[in-house]
Amino acid sequence: MSDLAVDIEFLRKRYSNGVEALAGVTLQVPRGSIFGLIGPNGAGKSTLVKSLLTILRPTECRGTMLDEPIGKKSTLAKVGYLPEHATFPEYLTGRQVIEYSAGLAHISRRACKDRVDRLLDQVGMNDAAARTMRTYSKGMKQRIGLAQALVNDPEVVFLDEPTDGVDPEGRIDFKRMISALREEGRTVFVNSHLLAEVEQIADRVAILSKGKIVKQGLVSDLTRREARYELRIQGTLPAEVMSWCGERGISIQGNVLSLMAENAIAVQPLIDKLRASLVIILELKEDRFSLEELFLQTVMEQRQTPNGTVAR
Amino acid sequence: MTQAYTILLDSLRMLRASKLFWVSLWISAVVAVVYASVGFDDKGITVMFGLWDFEIEIMRKGTPESQAFYTLIFTDVIVRFWLGWASLVLALISTCSIFPQFLQTGSVELAISKPVTRARLFLLKYIGGLLFVAVQTLLFTIVCFIALGVRCDEWNLSVFWAVPVVTFSFSLIYCIGVFVGVWSRSTIFALFASLIFWLMTLIVQWVDDFTYKMGYTIPEMGVNLDMRTGQVSEGTEDAGAGFRGFHQKIQPIVTIMPKTRETILSLKRLIVFKERDSMLAGVDLGSVFAGGEMDPNAKEAMKKYDLRYSWFSIVGTSLIFELVVLGGAMLLFSRRDY
Repeated sequence: MSDLAVDIEFLRKRYSNGVEALAGVTLQVPRGSIFGLIGPNGAGKSTLVKSLLTILRPTECRGTMLDEPIGKKSTLAKVGYLPEHATFPEYLTGRQVIEYSAGLAHISRRACKDRVDRLLDQVGMNDAAARTMRTYSKGMKQRIGLAQALVNDPEVVFLDEPTDGVDPEGRIDFKRMISALREEGRTVFVNSHLLAEVEQIADRVAILSKGKIVKQGLVSDLTRREARYELRIQGTLPAEVMSWCGERGISIQGNVLSLMAENAIAVQPLIDKLRASLVIILELKEDRFSLEELFLQTVMEQRQTPNGTVAR
Repeated sequence: MTQAYTILLDSLRMLRASKLFWVSLWISAVVAVVYASVGFDDKGITVMFGLWDFEIEIMRKGTPESQAFYTLIFTDVIVRFWLGWASLVLALISTCSIFPQFLQTGSVELAISKPVTRARLFLLKYIGGLLFVAVQTLLFTIVCFIALGVRCDEWNLSVFWAVPVVTFSFSLIYCIGVFVGVWSRSTIFALFASLIFWLMTLIVQWVDDFTYKMGYTIPEMGVNLDMRTGQVSEGTEDAGAGFRGFHQKIQPIVTIMPKTRETILSLKRLIVFKERDSMLAGVDLGSVFAGGEMDPNAKEAMKKYDLRYSWFSIVGTSLIFELVVLGGAMLLFSRRDY
């Protein structure tokens, strides 16, 4: 058994109208991890997930999911999915939606009952399970959506914008539930616009832009690679120090100086210079890039280089 | 099996949630009760369980004519107009939204991402739509079966042919709605397309019917009709040659079109009532109201007219049409990106 839940060697999707939604994606998702796929609107995030789940027919696809070729229907018995803007039949109750999903996934009726009860409990919908979907709030629908995605006890769960339209309390619950899935040994693949949330829960991320993966790796690696240091000083800088900083690309905003650096060693010359000029240093801190900043920087770079190459 | 049960159960739940289903069921119930309310007493016919009396000597309680008349109401009015028309229109209105709704973004993905083939999903959804008509017709037929049993002492199981025949007739139009619904994802478009197509098939069938009657049946009755003056005369002069030529010319179109009307009318062949020594034996309701007894020549010609199409011509060609349209719709459904 491979360590990878999803291993895409090459994935391309070109629509009949000529739009290339995925321009040759290569992506690896380790088993048992939470993987975040982020990207601007229209980057191809949903297209990628749909291609893996046979909802779309890729133009060219090489790779495996759960050790089977991508596109094999039987593999989907071990996969769960919550689509973006999921629409459930309004005449069904929450329980019936989960049962419907279970039936399509070939879960026997006997096994179904226990599993549905457990899932309703897990997503906090036990009390409202007998109500029809039309009476649910967006957050409640998403909870049922998550439960139906888990009803076949999947090894991989794809969640497309799972917290879209969910209130803050619900989002906290969702993060907890997604983290719990990892504890159970499942692989969770999350598509999201909410970068702060992805950063909090994901082990690995990939940034998709213009149909290409432009960055991917461990969240800790990606943000460390772009580490930044900030120094807060008292008073104003002498003109000579300002000029010295300008020559070395150190930015000055009020009484805060910041510079990009791989590690603290690179900051020492600045400290020496400030101390030599009798500038009082109030604070020195390593300020990692947030995922949001990393994302914005990457997307901006992509916009400047239309045919940017894939970074790993 | 689990998948089939799940999708069909969902279809039933969807029907149960549809207001039109209940409206249609209520109208069905009213029609069935009105039929059951027709009875016979010592004077003649009673309607609405005795509320109105009509004195007709030959229709007195227990006469073979009254029993034959009661069966004629079922075959010539209820089957032809209610089951063959009104109930099908209501069913089309109710079911044309099934595929467009299913293909909504956010809904279809849930089903397709499961380990079920698209072809299976499509067919089960299609059968789910047919359940609408099957369930309604079954309930309706049960009431008619009981009414026939009580009124005529004829517990005739052949009336249940109405269920598969009406469902099949509906499926011939519904498949167009499904094709257009899958293609356009629009309920309104699907409904209008199927209604317009239905009208087209009916026009073809009416023209076929009319030219056959004028070209073959009327001459066989020994009747000449002057098309310029409208005068009817008896004789052997063959005035139907032109109609026969036209009838033969339209046969290729008739052959490839689904025969909804003929399918419904074929119920008269399938629902067989016991022979009665009645003056109404072998006639239709139109003749009863027109009065007078039909001569043996005319009876024979009408019988030939009723049986002019073989089962393959009615069911076989219609089934081929349905399979082609459904195949196209399934191909669209299966190959599309969602």
